[in-house]
Amino acid sequence: MPRPSDERLIAYLDGELEESERDAVADALERDAELRERGAALSESAVLLRSAFDEVLHEPLPERLIRAARGESGAVTDLAAARQKRWKRVLGDRRFWLGTAAAASLAAFAVGFGIGGGDVGLADAILAAYAPHSAEQAADSFPDNLAGYYRRYVNMGPNDGTTFDKLPQNFHLPNLKPWGLAFQGARFLMVEGQPAMALMYTTDNKALGPVLVVVANSPHADKGTDFYHRGDINVLRWRHHGHAYAIAGTASINYLWNIHNDLAYQFDTI
Amino acid sequence: MLPRLRRFARGLTGSAVEADDLVQAACERALSRAHQFQEGTRFDSWMFRIVQTIWIDQLRSRDIRREEAEEEGVNVGTDEPGRRAEARLALQEVRSALAQLPAEQRAALLLVTVDGLSYKEAAEAADVPVGTIMSRLARARTALLAKLEAGGGLRRSTQDAKAE
Repeated sequence: MPRPSDERLIAYLDGELEESERDAVADALERDAELRERGAALSESAVLLRSAFDEVLHEPLPERLIRAARGESGAVTDLAAARQKRWKRVLGDRRFWLGTAAAASLAAFAVGFGIGGGDVGLADAILAAYAPHSAEQAADSFPDNLAGYYRRYVNMGPNDGTTFDKLPQNFHLPNLKPWGLAFQGARFLMVEGQPAMALMYTTDNKALGPVLVVVANSPHADKGTDFYHRGDINVLRWRHHGHAYAIAGTASINYLWNIHNDLAYQFDTI
Repeated sequence: MLPRLRRFARGLTGSAVEADDLVQAACERALSRAHQFQEGTRFDSWMFRIVQTIWIDQLRSRDIRREEAEEEGVNVGTDEPGRRAEARLALQEVRSALAQLPAEQRAALLLVTVDGLSYKEAAEAADVPVGTIMSRLARARTALLAKLEAGGGLRRSTQDAKAE
C-alpha cells in the first residue's frame, strides 16, 4: 500500500477521516517509522501554532470591542482610516501635512451608523462567550495542545530525543504503579505562558495505553475537573492551590477519572 | 466569541491593533446585516466569515504594509530564564512563519488548527468546499513545518524540553 499523502496524514491527525481510511493510515503509521516521524513533526508544529496564539484568549478585551459588539460604536469602522490615524500618530509633527490629510480622510470616512438599539439578540451572541468562565471553556486550546503532545509521544515513543528523565530535585514524582503505569520520562512545556512538566507513564496493556500527566503553575483560581474529548484522546483538567493539572490518554474516562482522584490526593499531600 | 475573533484576526493580520480594528468592523457589519444570518447555521462560522471577508477586501484595496512594527519583540533579556526565552522565541518563529503563508492558507490554518473548527465548519466559514479547505490546510501545514524546520523553531521547542 502506498504511503498516505500529507493531505491524508493531516486529515488523520485532525480526526477528519472516515473509519476505513483512518485504519489504513493507522496501519501505515505502525509500519513506517519515517511516516511516524513526519506525523509527529506535524503534530508538534500544530501544538506550537496553537500555543503561539493562546495568549490572545487571555488578554482583557478592549472597551471599544465590547462597545462595538453591543452596537454602541456610533460609527462604522473604516480600516483604512484607522490605519491612517495610527500612521499620523507614528509620524507626529514632522509630517504634519500628512497628518492633516489623514484627519480629513478620517472625517470623510466616518459615516453615521444609526444602529439605534441594534440587534440585541445578535449582540448577545457576540458577547455571549465574554463571561470569563465561559470564554475559558469555549475558546481554550489547552486540551487540543495536550492531545497533540500526547499523539507526539505515542507516535514517537520514548526514543524521540525529546524526553528525558532528569527531574528537578524538589519535584515529587506521582506514583502510578498501582494503576499498572510506569514512569517513562518527562519534558518541560509552556502552558498558558507558565512553565509546566509533562510526565509520561506507559503500560504493556494497550487498552489502557500510555498516560500523560501535566503539572503547571497557574495564577488562576481553583477549578473543578473538566472533561474534554479530542479524537480518541480523553483529557481531564483541574486547578488546585496555584497549580493546573491535566491527564490525557486513550483509556476510558472511568479509568482516567480514578487515576485523577489518586493524583489529586497525591499532589495534595506533597 | 470576541476572544476567538481577536485570535483569528491577530493571526490573519499579524498585528494587535489591526486585528482589533478588524474585529470591531466585523461586529459592526454583523449587527447591521443581522437579517442575513441564517437560523440553523453556526453563528461563529458566520462571524469568522465576516472577519475574513473584510480582511480580504482590505488586502485587495491596498498594498499591505506594516505601518507599525507591531509584533512584540522577542524578549530574551538576561532576567528571563533561558528555557522560557527559548520557548518565546519558538512561538515568535511560528507567528512569523504563519505570516509568510498565502492569505487563504493562513485562514484555513487559523480556523482548523488554532480554533479547532472541523473541516466542514471551516469550509462554511471560508465559504469554500470542504475539499478546498483540506488541500489548503495540507499545503499550509507542510509549508509551516518546512519553515519551522528551516528556522530551527521545532528544534528549539524540543531543545527547550531538554534544558535543565
